[in-house]
Amino acid sequence: MTTPRILAAALATVGILALGNGWWLLPGLLVGLLALGELWLRALVAEAVAPVARIGLGAVSGLVSLPLVAITLHLLGVGLRGPQIAAGLAVLTVALGGVALLRERSGPVPDDPRFARTLAAIAVPVVVALVVGGAATMAYVRLPHPSQPGFTSVALGGWAAGIDRPVTFPRGGLDVPIRVSSTGEPAAVAQLRVRVGARPAGPARPVTVAADTTRSFAVHVPAPLTGCLHRIEISVGGASTVFYGRGPATC
Amino acid sequence: MTLTAPVAVLPEETAEPGPRRDRSAAWCAASLTVAGAAGAVALVAADRAAEWGRGRPFELFWLGMLVFTLPAAYWAGRRASTSRLRLAVVVGYACFTYLPKLLRNPTGPLYHDEFAHWRQSREILLDGRLFEANPIVRVVGDFPGLHAAVAAVSSLTGVSVWHAALAVLIGAHLLLVLGVAVLAQEIWRDSRTAAIAALAYGLNSSFLFFDTQFGYESLAITLWVWTLVALVRALRSPAKAPIAVLLIAATVVTHHLTALGLIATMLIIAVAVTVKRRDRVAVTAWALTLTAAILTTFWLLWVAPKTAGYLDPYLAKALDQFAGMFSDNGESGRTLFKQSIAPWWEQKTAFVAQVLALVAMIGAAVHLYRTRSRDPLALAMLLLGVCYFPAVLLILTPSGAEGARRSWAFSYLGIAMVVAPLAVRLLDRWAAKAGAALLTAFALVMVGNTAAGMNPSYRFPGPPVYGSDTRALIPEVAAAADWLRATQGRGLRIVADRYSGLIFGSFGGQDPVTGSVTFPTYDVYLTQPGRPVNPSLIGQLSAWRFGYLVVDRRMAREVPEIGIYFENNEPIPHNGRPGFTLGQLTKFDRTPWTIKIYDSGNIAIYRFDFASLTVPAIGGGK
Repeated sequence: MTTPRILAAALATVGILALGNGWWLLPGLLVGLLALGELWLRALVAEAVAPVARIGLGAVSGLVSLPLVAITLHLLGVGLRGPQIAAGLAVLTVALGGVALLRERSGPVPDDPRFARTLAAIAVPVVVALVVGGAATMAYVRLPHPSQPGFTSVALGGWAAGIDRPVTFPRGGLDVPIRVSSTGEPAAVAQLRVRVGARPAGPARPVTVAADTTRSFAVHVPAPLTGCLHRIEISVGGASTVFYGRGPATC
Repeated sequence: MTLTAPVAVLPEETAEPGPRRDRSAAWCAASLTVAGAAGAVALVAADRAAEWGRGRPFELFWLGMLVFTLPAAYWAGRRASTSRLRLAVVVGYACFTYLPKLLRNPTGPLYHDEFAHWRQSREILLDGRLFEANPIVRVVGDFPGLHAAVAAVSSLTGVSVWHAALAVLIGAHLLLVLGVAVLAQEIWRDSRTAAIAALAYGLNSSFLFFDTQFGYESLAITLWVWTLVALVRALRSPAKAPIAVLLIAATVVTHHLTALGLIATMLIIAVAVTVKRRDRVAVTAWALTLTAAILTTFWLLWVAPKTAGYLDPYLAKALDQFAGMFSDNGESGRTLFKQSIAPWWEQKTAFVAQVLALVAMIGAAVHLYRTRSRDPLALAMLLLGVCYFPAVLLILTPSGAEGARRSWAFSYLGIAMVVAPLAVRLLDRWAAKAGAALLTAFALVMVGNTAAGMNPSYRFPGPPVYGSDTRALIPEVAAAADWLRATQGRGLRIVADRYSGLIFGSFGGQDPVTGSVTFPTYDVYLTQPGRPVNPSLIGQLSAWRFGYLVVDRRMAREVPEIGIYFENNEPIPHNGRPGFTLGQLTKFDRTPWTIKIYDSGNIAIYRFDFASLTVPAIGGGK
């Protein structure tokens, strides 16, 4: 294939990559990198290379173009996003294509007639392996697997999730939002308990924890009796949250 | 082959089909497709047997591997196969040998270093910057070759980081095998030898599970092989040197040890070339070696200065332990397969494989001598292969084992390169007997080296195991990490143990610290209830704005499988009993400077409130 055609193919692929998005672009990226790798070879090694070595060196050179472009963008202070990387690849493609065309003014390297068949000898087993290996992998992922251990979690929610120091309680107490989540465990009824200081703030009350659900609700916590620092614990079953607070009275 | 061989395009066909229609290609394709499908089914069955805890996972695994690789070896070594057929077989072999690792964790990272690389790639996608610090493996960020490639693939196509990584890694694995075949073709000028060399390289202990992981060495080892290909071509034609320089630079920015391994390999080649010839070929070899040394030195000194401090303790400790083995009757060494669940035949085969490698190397050396090979590249490969055996001794030390395993991926290239022509010679002379013997040896070495290289927990799924690098991840830890990121944001400085730190540092996007000699955060956990935590440590945590503490209460109930709670040098006894009491881990429920914001039974997350450190609380501790 002539250098202008490879250059055009590489630029077209990079253009599609810059505009599109989706897994189906992976083969396109592969073609683009192979074309870019071929340009590397034409720019740096203007001599005949055996087909297998040519395909391998081209693929490796195309692959290393990605970190090369990324490092260059980083040094230029450009963020690594899809369009910027595509633009970087396009600039590299044009530069390499230009060098290759300059080198070829003294005569292009002749095409190797074995190249296409060698490429097929690589591509066919790769495609077969992708089909067989992909099917095996998808089957393995979709088959049932042993269940993982379940758990119930309790966390401070809403404003309470941001508690980073002792809370000052108003006289009427506070409604503290909590989040209860159950994963991989059957539905159960757990005891909700609130302790302020060393004593329970009231009797325990049952709370239904449904299987595989997350539920948020507020728990009323009465104000501590004094302004001294009090430990405040809200527990659901065996899990609990703990924070500290002071009442409105003096310590 | 000699280095003065003509530069012209090499003939790749060694056995053109005759006038009668040759159906061997069709037979080969059909048999290997069926074998590959059968092998894949057996590998899936092996993993399912392991995860459900019934059946025979090891037997199924090796049935699956050998049902494909032995016919592949037959077709590759068969004299009548064409070079293109051998090429297709080698490519199929490369693809098939990625399947065990793909099935091990098809949907996300699993091995320790995979979490670090996954995080690094994800951070690039989120922030658009390279060279960011990595809290899991601290030097990873300074070698952006792999992450930059993965992040670029992900951002260009929109696929997830994991799928982009798989695309890059499968490509790198294929190119690795292809590269070995091309290198052997360059040296021996025979496609049969090249194909056998590629398959033989696939026997090294890192090939199936280590150099296939989402880690920088998986890409770097491929770059290393292709750099050697480019070097060999440059020795013949210096005009081809620029492509070697490009690949040297790519190797240097991808992985530190591979860059050092590349310099060592190029030194061996340069010395061998200089001994045999003193002309421009030697000058080219030394010039490229010097280039590699300069680029590596520049990168290690100016871009990745932390690397020396990262690698040095491993080497120093390994040498200390190696010396100590002689002074304490081997007590500082390690016992191979200690507490391993690998079957006895795998364990025995691991030793047999080393003996077979030694015998093969001696045979290869004799073969090279008898054939009066004066090729400096063959001599260099022989020297590289010999390096395999000293490294085997390091496997006996706890700290050297990791380095020894890593070195085998390099030295086995030398073994593959010089043993392959011997295998061809044997096949030519005693086709049937040698074929059977070589296939038997192939199977034994594959089983033995894989058993020596990777623990069963890396190779097979199974029930959760606390303190295992591959089975410690349970949904409870991942849910806690998700909750923290969702409610408090990412990039938080947290104190954690090794296993929680992996998940919070990767999926959670946080910056965990798991302790070190100079920053012993494990002392927070070790402090007895009612006793104050070391004030200087609290001062460090406060000054460095650490905001959260993660406590895994399994530390008080279970012994970590790999004998580490936080890091290698932790001051925690490992005597078969848990290193913590439950009181040490639940004391934070009663200390006013730790606010428990999340609890799921095993995992608790506390927010530090250092201002309340000395304030007494009613109902709490001090």
